[in-house]
Parts: sequence; structure tokens; C-alpha cells
Amino acid sequence: MIEVSGLYKRYHRQRKVYDWVLEDINLSFPKGVSVGLLGRNGAGKSTLLRLIAGMDTPDRGTIQRNCRVSWPIGLAGGFQGSMTGRQNVKFVARVQGGDYNVTEVIRFVQEFAELGDSFDEPIKTYSSGMRARLNFGLSLAFDFDVYLSDEATAVGDRAFRAKATKAFKDKVGKSSLIMVSHSEGILKDLCQAGVYLKDGSATWYDDINDAIAAYHEETSAVKATDSKPAVVKASGTKPQEKKTAPEPQTLAQAQQQRKQRRAEFDKAKTAFEQAKADELPSQEQEKHANAFKTARKRLHQARQRVEAMKPPS
Amino acid sequence: MPKQTHTSGRTPWQVTRSVWYAMFMREAISRTMADRMGWFWMIFEPLAFTAIMVGIRGFIRGGNLIVNAEFIPWMITGLMGFFLVREGMMRGLGAVSSNSALFAYRQVQPVDPVLVRNALEGLLRTFVFMIFIVGALLLGTNMFPDSAIRAMFWWLSLWCLGMGLGLITSVAGTLVPEVATIIRMLNMPLLILSGVIFPLNQLPHWVLEYLMYNPIIHGLELLRGSFFEGYQMIHGTSAGYFWLFTLITISLGLIMHVRFKESLKAQ
Repeated sequence: MIEVSGLYKRYHRQRKVYDWVLEDINLSFPKGVSVGLLGRNGAGKSTLLRLIAGMDTPDRGTIQRNCRVSWPIGLAGGFQGSMTGRQNVKFVARVQGGDYNVTEVIRFVQEFAELGDSFDEPIKTYSSGMRARLNFGLSLAFDFDVYLSDEATAVGDRAFRAKATKAFKDKVGKSSLIMVSHSEGILKDLCQAGVYLKDGSATWYDDINDAIAAYHEETSAVKATDSKPAVVKASGTKPQEKKTAPEPQTLAQAQQQRKQRRAEFDKAKTAFEQAKADELPSQEQEKHANAFKTARKRLHQARQRVEAMKPPS
Repeated sequence: MPKQTHTSGRTPWQVTRSVWYAMFMREAISRTMADRMGWFWMIFEPLAFTAIMVGIRGFIRGGNLIVNAEFIPWMITGLMGFFLVREGMMRGLGAVSSNSALFAYRQVQPVDPVLVRNALEGLLRTFVFMIFIVGALLLGTNMFPDSAIRAMFWWLSLWCLGMGLGLITSVAGTLVPEVATIIRMLNMPLLILSGVIFPLNQLPHWVLEYLMYNPIIHGLELLRGSFFEGYQMIHGTSAGYFWLFTLITISLGLIMHVRFKESLKAQ
């Protein structure tokens, strides 16, 4: 249970005072409910996350956390560059307290992050993906009630993303999640409720889909005012309806089908991501999203078929 | 100041202790292991410095009129005590900025790295000093303190002074970078003005009057006084002044850390 009341935040740097980033935020994050934070770039998502984590203090207002809250898991910070991954993990394990066995934690992180020999190299030699993997694995080594994720799943390859999503899903029930992400699939997957940030104020939505819809409304409104509809770009990328192929009977056929559907899925995915990156109007994005979802479903079915036909090993 | 509560089941003291422990281990490793031959330089650097200073003084001659104290032990105690204070002050300068990544964990406060570094520095310096004492004894120079208890007490007092100065410089030097430059500049004159290399006894009274505002002189003289029975301390040396100054710097430093906690984290 995290209670945010009357929260104001703005940044001061070199005697200069900037505009309010967050103004009069009143939120209450119930126990066990995962929340997605949405908003355009600069809307204050990461600031809110930092405040919840206790990394920063609000100018006014209070944040009450009556549970163990993680640090914001993501790209930025948390590691000292000159120390090795192992030393950093050791440090955090010690800071988090005596009830954690340091060697246990190290072993867990080492396995999860899959850094290989780089685990004993200084952090400053890491790529951003490696850093994120380490940070992510590290946070999972501790039993937090609430995990804060700042685009933690954005970097890293597909395999790691799948692993990360699964890890978060396994935690459901024991702990909840407050996450910032621009990937709506992940938000829908992992979160129940949503908070939409705009112009310094926050709106709570009990359903993440409503929050996403509100976010779409804003982005498409912006698009409509400053450009002519960009429909042309989208045509042609939409995956074609598939001819109904006979159900595969043998393992080889099933694998063939899986391969094909994988290709379809990849195509739909790139189209969808392109559409999102272009900030197309929401109806256009919807179309791509639907195509993407169907492709995913079909791929999933094909995979299941292969799994079913495989001889037990 | 907005109130923030978090009940994680640990008392603040337990949290702080585990932070200090974690930080001490990391600082100890980076201090001694990270550099190539870190250990070697830690001992060799003061040794070389002492040797150079003794050599220079041997050439210049004169002014060796130190009552009841041999010249080389006199200088070694001065150099060691001075380094203890100076390192406490200088280590404070970089303590906050070089650990800023760690403020991501809310358990870690800006004051923690300063205190930990000071403690570590003090331990290392104590170790080096002991090596010097043993080494000098083996070479037949009488380096053993005549009053060991008092020597330890004044050694710890100098450590406290270093910590107080370190607390202040860590805040001031981080928030105002110019202060850091000035403090680095003060380094060398301070070595001479603190009576480490030249005895200040022969200086005219009116100069001494001003020099005696420097608390390091008081600390060093008192340390030497405990090492050499019957040593003639500079006129005006006062334990009271030294401790008053030390306690004020420590309190001021801690207050500054409380006041500027947020700005330091944001750096």
C-alpha cells in the first residue's frame, strides 16, 4: 500500500527553478495491484517513480510506503562504474540487510543475468542491455512488495524480455508492480490498473485499457492538429488474410507451419511497431495492433501443435 | 521537510549499520586492490615523502633546536599526524560525487560515504604509522611514545579533526566546485604552516599569534608532547582550543549534511 498525497515536485538547478513537473498528485496504490504509468515523454513518469522509490524528495506533500519498495529498475544509475558486476551485487545485497545471504544473492543474479565472464568486469565496460539485465536480476533477488520498473524490459533481446516478463508474472500474488513503459503489450500483460500523467496531473484508471485509451486520445489529438492524416504509409504493411491451409498432420508439417507463422508474426510485429513509432492516429494503430495480435495467436497455436506432436523426450 | 515513512522491519540504526558495512567493504577493496600496487604505494608514498623531507632538512641544516626530541622522530610524528588530518579533509571532497550512483538505494545517505572513507583512511594511516614506528625501532631510532595512552588519544583526536573537516568539505566542495579547488591549493602551505617540517618556535611572537589559530598545530604539538617526555610545546598550545575547534567542525559538518542532503543527492 503506497499513499501519495498532495505531492508537488519541480527541479532546481543552479539557482534556476523550473516549472512544476508534478502538481498536486493524490494517488493510492492498493496492495497487490500492478499499475502502469502512462504519459508522453516528459510527463513526469520517471520522476514519480523516483519519488515513490525515495530517491528524491517531493517539494510538498507526502509519500507513505508501508511495504518494501524496490529501487527503480531500469537503465539509469544504481551501479558504480569502476566496480565489477559482482562487487556491485555484493554491495546491494549487504545494504538490503542481514536476512539475505550474500552468496545466495550473487548466485541468483549471476544465473539470471547471464553475463558470463563479464560478471567480473567493471560495470563501465557493459552495454546498456547488460546493465539492465544485471539491474533486473538484482532486483529480483530480493523479496520486495512493490517493484518499480522504468522501462526495465525495454532493452535486452527477445529472449531476455520474455524471461523478464515471465519473472514479473511469477511474482504476481506475492508482490505487485508499478511500471513505466511505452510498450502497451507489456502493460496490458502485466498491469491491472493504470495512471495517466498529463500536464503535471495524474488520473487513476481502474482498468489499464482505459488509461491506454486516454493516452491514445491525447497522442492522436496532437497528431490531428499538426499534420494531415498519415494513412498512406500504413497501407501495404498490413498482413494479408491467410488462405485456409489444411491442418498439419506430421511433425515436419507442423514445424513448417510454425516457421511460416513465425515469419508472419515478425512481419506484423514490425508493422505494428513502426506504426507506434510513427505515432499514427489510434484507429490506424488499432488495425496494426489487431493484426499483430492475430498473428501472435496463430503462431502460438502452431507452436502448441509442434509441442503436442513432438515425441516425449 | 516532508515526512516519509517506510516500515521495512529494520530499525534506522540497523539499516545504517548495514550500509556502513557494505560501503566499508567496497571502499576498502577499491582503495587497496583497485590500483596497481595500491598496497605498496600506501606505505611507500609517506616513506618516500619523509625521506625527501629529511634529506632536504639535512641540507638546509640549522633550526634543529628541538628540545628533548630527536629530529627524525619529531618529523615523522608531525608528518603522520598531518597526513591523517589532510587525508580526512581531502577524501571528503570526492566522497559524495564518486558514490552518487549509490543514492539510488534510499538506504544510502550522502553522509555515509564520508564517514566510511574517513574511518577507512584513519585505519590505514594508523597501520602505516605502526609500520613506521616498528621500522624506526628496528633501525635503532627511539620512536616509541613515552606515553602511549596519550599518544593514542591525540592520534584519535587528530582523526576526529580530519573527519570534521571532511564532513564540511564534502558538502561545500560538492555544492560549490570552487571550494574544492581552493582546498586543494591550501594543501601545501598548510604543511609548512602547521609546523610539520620546520619548528615554529623561532618565529616572532606576532606571527605565531596568527598561526596558532590553525588547530592542526595544536594537535600535532600535543601528539609530539605525548611521544617525547619533556618536549617543549609551542607556547600557546591548548588542548581546549583544539577540541573546541574539532567539535564545532564535526557539528557544523553534520548539520550541513542534514541541511543539504537533498541537493547532494541530486548532484
